[in-house]
Amino acid sequence: MANTCECEGSCTSVVYEELDAFMADCPKGRDRLIPVLQKAQELFGYLPVEVQEYVAQALELPVSEVYGVVTFYHYFTMEPRGRHTINVCLGTECYVRGAKKIVEALSENLNIKMGGTTEDRRFSLTTQRCFGACGLAPVIMINDDVHGRVTPKKIAGILAQYE
Amino acid sequence: MKTLDDLRKMRDQVRKDLDMRSGAKRARVTVCMGTCGIAAGARETMQAFLRDLESAGLGDVAVTAAGCAGFCEKEPMVEVEIKDEKPVRYCHVDAAAVARIVQEHLVNGKVVEDLVFA
Amino acid sequence: MKTVRVQVLLCAGGSCISSGTQSVREAFEASLVAHDLADEVEIITTGCMGMCEVGPIAIVYPEGVFYQKVKAADAEEIVSEHLLKGRVVERLFYRKPSTQELIQAISDIDFFKLQHKIALRNCGQIDPERIQEYIAMDGYVALGKALTEMTPQGVLDEIKQSGLRGRGGAGFPTGIKWSAAAAETSDIKYVVCNADEGDPGAFMDRSILEGDPHSVLEAMSICGYAIGARQGYIYVRAEYPLAIERLEKAIVQARELGMLGTDIFGSGFDFDIEIRMGAGAFVCGEETSLMHSIEGRRGEPRPKPPFPAQKGLFDKPTVLNNVETFANVPTIIMEGAEAFAALGTEKSKGTKVFALAGDVNNTGLVEVPMGISLGAIVYDVGGGIPNEKKFKAVQIGGPSGGCIPAPYLNTPVTYESLPELGAIMGSGGLVVMNEDTCMVDLARYFLEFIAEESCGKCTPCRVGTRIMLELVTNICEGRGTMQDLDRLEELSDFIRQGSLCGLGQTAPNPVLSTLQYFRHEYIAHIQDHHCEAGVCGSMMFAPCTNACPAAVNVPAYLAYVGQERYEDALREHLKANPFPSVCGRVCPQWCIKKCRRADLEGPLAVRLVKRFMADQREDYSDLYPPKEPPNGKKVAVIGSGPAGLTAAYYLTLMGYKATVFDQQPEAGGMLRYAIPDYRLPREYVDKEIEGLERLGVEIRTNVHVGKDTTLSNLQADGYEALYLACGAGHEIKPDLPGIDLPGVYTGISFLERVAKGEDLKVGPDVVVIGGGDSAIDASRIARRRGARNITILYRRTRSEMPTNPIEIREAEVEGNQVEFLTNIGGIYARDDGRLEIEVRKMRLGAFDKTGRRRPEEIRGVAERRVVDNVIIAIGQRSDVGDILADGQGLQADRWGGVEADRKTGATAVPFIFAGGDLVSGAATVVEAIAAGQAGARAIDQYLSPGVRQNYPWEHPASPDVPVDPDQDIEDIAPVSDPLLSPEERLITLEVEKTILPWEARCEAGRCLRCDYKG
Repeated sequence: MANTCECEGSCTSVVYEELDAFMADCPKGRDRLIPVLQKAQELFGYLPVEVQEYVAQALELPVSEVYGVVTFYHYFTMEPRGRHTINVCLGTECYVRGAKKIVEALSENLNIKMGGTTEDRRFSLTTQRCFGACGLAPVIMINDDVHGRVTPKKIAGILAQYE
Repeated sequence: MKTLDDLRKMRDQVRKDLDMRSGAKRARVTVCMGTCGIAAGARETMQAFLRDLESAGLGDVAVTAAGCAGFCEKEPMVEVEIKDEKPVRYCHVDAAAVARIVQEHLVNGKVVEDLVFA
Repeated sequence: MKTVRVQVLLCAGGSCISSGTQSVREAFEASLVAHDLADEVEIITTGCMGMCEVGPIAIVYPEGVFYQKVKAADAEEIVSEHLLKGRVVERLFYRKPSTQELIQAISDIDFFKLQHKIALRNCGQIDPERIQEYIAMDGYVALGKALTEMTPQGVLDEIKQSGLRGRGGAGFPTGIKWSAAAAETSDIKYVVCNADEGDPGAFMDRSILEGDPHSVLEAMSICGYAIGARQGYIYVRAEYPLAIERLEKAIVQARELGMLGTDIFGSGFDFDIEIRMGAGAFVCGEETSLMHSIEGRRGEPRPKPPFPAQKGLFDKPTVLNNVETFANVPTIIMEGAEAFAALGTEKSKGTKVFALAGDVNNTGLVEVPMGISLGAIVYDVGGGIPNEKKFKAVQIGGPSGGCIPAPYLNTPVTYESLPELGAIMGSGGLVVMNEDTCMVDLARYFLEFIAEESCGKCTPCRVGTRIMLELVTNICEGRGTMQDLDRLEELSDFIRQGSLCGLGQTAPNPVLSTLQYFRHEYIAHIQDHHCEAGVCGSMMFAPCTNACPAAVNVPAYLAYVGQERYEDALREHLKANPFPSVCGRVCPQWCIKKCRRADLEGPLAVRLVKRFMADQREDYSDLYPPKEPPNGKKVAVIGSGPAGLTAAYYLTLMGYKATVFDQQPEAGGMLRYAIPDYRLPREYVDKEIEGLERLGVEIRTNVHVGKDTTLSNLQADGYEALYLACGAGHEIKPDLPGIDLPGVYTGISFLERVAKGEDLKVGPDVVVIGGGDSAIDASRIARRRGARNITILYRRTRSEMPTNPIEIREAEVEGNQVEFLTNIGGIYARDDGRLEIEVRKMRLGAFDKTGRRRPEEIRGVAERRVVDNVIIAIGQRSDVGDILADGQGLQADRWGGVEADRKTGATAVPFIFAGGDLVSGAATVVEAIAAGQAGARAIDQYLSPGVRQNYPWEHPASPDVPVDPDQDIEDIAPVSDPLLSPEERLITLEVEKTILPWEARCEAGRCLRCDYKG
């Protein structure tokens, strides 16, 4: 299958081979679809149509079903993401303790809207519902790092930790 | 592991690791480790307790450190408290004294009268 | 040699890890090596201990010493002081929120003491990554017992008898669910653990998976045995990477020991478990959606029946329970159904884990017996509300739940009681909210959540929640109408009935419950464009002005003071409040409770700047808003307190002839006769009243309406409208033995007699009864009259005292003692002329309607004391019997005041209006001023309907002082209150000084100018 996506060479055949290996480990069947897509997104960073077609073929599912699943779940994205994903928790507790102000400060600082990615692909900005770290509200998660008791003033310092 | 008894055996074996947290120890040895105590050799006393208790197989005795008891010239001082008994305070406890306290008091249950702080 | 004498347990729950557990661990290890203690001390990381607010937590065993907020830098001190020398490190102790008392042992912390742990039994106790520790805590014994000593039916019976119900939300009986699946004939069945914990604010499942993963594995195996399944799935949120990692490790370890796999315990029973990661869809917490998701489909719900027990995952019989439900199972099997069923209520057995969050001192995870009251969770386990704020409501049950307000704090928490109040148990998210939460905005938040998470399958949910969101958003932004409230209720009904799954059926709950208990907030947003909590920004000039009852334009006068434009500052203030000198001395400052500068160095000292501003001019009557030409209409105001004078001020400005009547010899009401002169010297009362007289307000003192004249006479004299503002100065006298003995005073009359210059004698030992302003004032006056030992007896605790905490503090600074939880039982005369009193001890019992705990007497522990004087100051009310006797048809309220609309002052008689304490009960000066504004407006609208649209205090505007929004905010310390020392106070009259000009400018400069909208 031709590599036609625009990820600047990162989705080479090596990546496909890794995905093949993951799929070879498990029996075919619809119930593998979500784990395979999760793996694919981990490898490619996002799920362009080409990858969805590839997975559909490998699992012997209609492309439309794969597309239906990808678009249903928040976890999957069809757009390339930044190197670091910033998730702002919008759980009740974070909301009550000022998550809105954090979102504003982040968008202003990065000059992107919620859901967007910076031009240099350094950061993507998204929200999530409750990480369960309510004692630390308001909370943001950058990749797998949780930052608690965030204030607009602290934002620049936190972002500087991520290149 | 194939039987419930295997499991129980394993449980009993690993449980002593947790006794400390559940307060299930039979006795407690408190070594006074203020600056004065340490200067008088309380570190060695502490280590002697740990060593002798281990070799005597007394896994159910807690050893803790405490601050200066105020009688600096009597250091190293040690308090031994066996559950449901009155605590006993020993003074000038060196390694030899530790050996006797472990053997006589903690194993045989007899207070080492000549070492007792009075 | 390696004999461990100390174990240090470090909490590695999610919150603690984010606060730095790993670096703390590393620092400990390094210190232990440096002190040669590595062999004696073992560091163990555990799952969540539940007290997330104070993490990272370290507990040192065997003593059980609890250290909070431990940083890497603290490790060395703990090691060298505590572990080496046995000296505990006090500065890292937990402080009891109510008393600030330091607490050393974990077993003494209320938060832990009041809990009963079953589901969380091992969390924070064991290392979740070592199966041996789980086994040491009797882990897998229940499984062994089930497989080798019980039949599947026996297991089912045990679970049924325990009364365990699903902890994920709906509370379906677990035993019945399992039995239904067991009854199905099928060669393949499944056990599914729902770990797609999506309710915002709920994190007990995460905590169990991270802290005690084996308990879930063991329970699933037991379930598999009971129903005849060989395969289990755990569906866990992708957002919980640590839980997934620990589950994976646990599964590997369980397989190695033969606790999962084939022929477990030699019983021939095979069982294995696979983890499935969710992909971020809230609806997948719904069981049919979750199963669709495991099957690789879109996670949309389907109708039930068939229930999963008949046709579940891959169309096979399936039991689906959530994490917490499973975590209870091993204990039930091991200790028997009866022990479990002994906890809780008749229909809600066992315990429930709550994620306690929000405006509460101890946030974290708590496991409490079912049936405990909401108030006990908030106040006893949770430690109450921080920062002297007021409790408003708890939100319980997440987006499907509801808000329960203060009057229901006694409600026992059960599956049955919560739905009666419009909430649900749900998964156990419990968010405590204080007065700063806007309930309309909260409803909007949940609607936004639901609208976004609706999977779209059912139109009523998909479209209906969007429309509801639009309506509530409109209300929040000041565009709502009263019809919108009806539409919200209609739509709620429609969505409830027309949705397939629990998400849709419960989606309207947050709106319905806030409408039920906080309808007045919706109405205030719609009709007055006012958000009391100061959250809905678009209808707010600035948070301080919004919070001020009189809506004083705080940013404007502060900005002008900063520019030394004192006349402009005063002019701005006088638009909304003609008493800057008085308020500059006694205002309790509602404004600063919402001051945004509070997040930085502390709120503005608004009152001090106000006082400075007011002191700049001897007379500022020339700075009042422009006075309109006389319109020939006469209005009588009865009562010359701040409410009456404010009404007269505005009526005079609007061209009316306003005459104020008062029965006292001088005008001012409570300003003159109740507030002591050390807080408010009389010259400032005189100054502002003289200004009003200069404006044209006529004041007639020594006229007692009801005696010297009547309302009817006033009407006959040509007064076209009457404003009643004669306050609440009538003392409440308790029915107490000895109340009339000489030497016993009542608070208000004591204050009034002192104010009138009477030389009241007090002896050296004085006891004051009460907790309000007049009790504190009376105690401080007693000291100024020569008393030396002054004790205030208050029947509740400090946090319930109705007076301003600053006043209590000042009384204490002067040497007065407050004894809490005490009350007086009787006063008896002694032969030596002194008094003997009975002092009763109280304790706090159930919650009253205001959300405060009702004091109740502890019998048999009363004591006797000998004192010289007793001052009873337990409250005041109105007494307008003589005015009402006029026969004008006015209605008395239950407090002896006049029944009137609190917002407009309208009474049952068209030309009579009422306001101030007379209507509201005893309140603050600034509230009385606000009442005066409302009264003036209502009278103007009555006498000159439709003439005016705007009033001087309305529509505050930004001052013409520029703001540079890009300027960096520097740290500037707030000005300190220039209070005299207790010794100086007994010589000088006023206890506080005016701040200096540079201090005033500097303080004013701290204002963040929240009025600036760019």
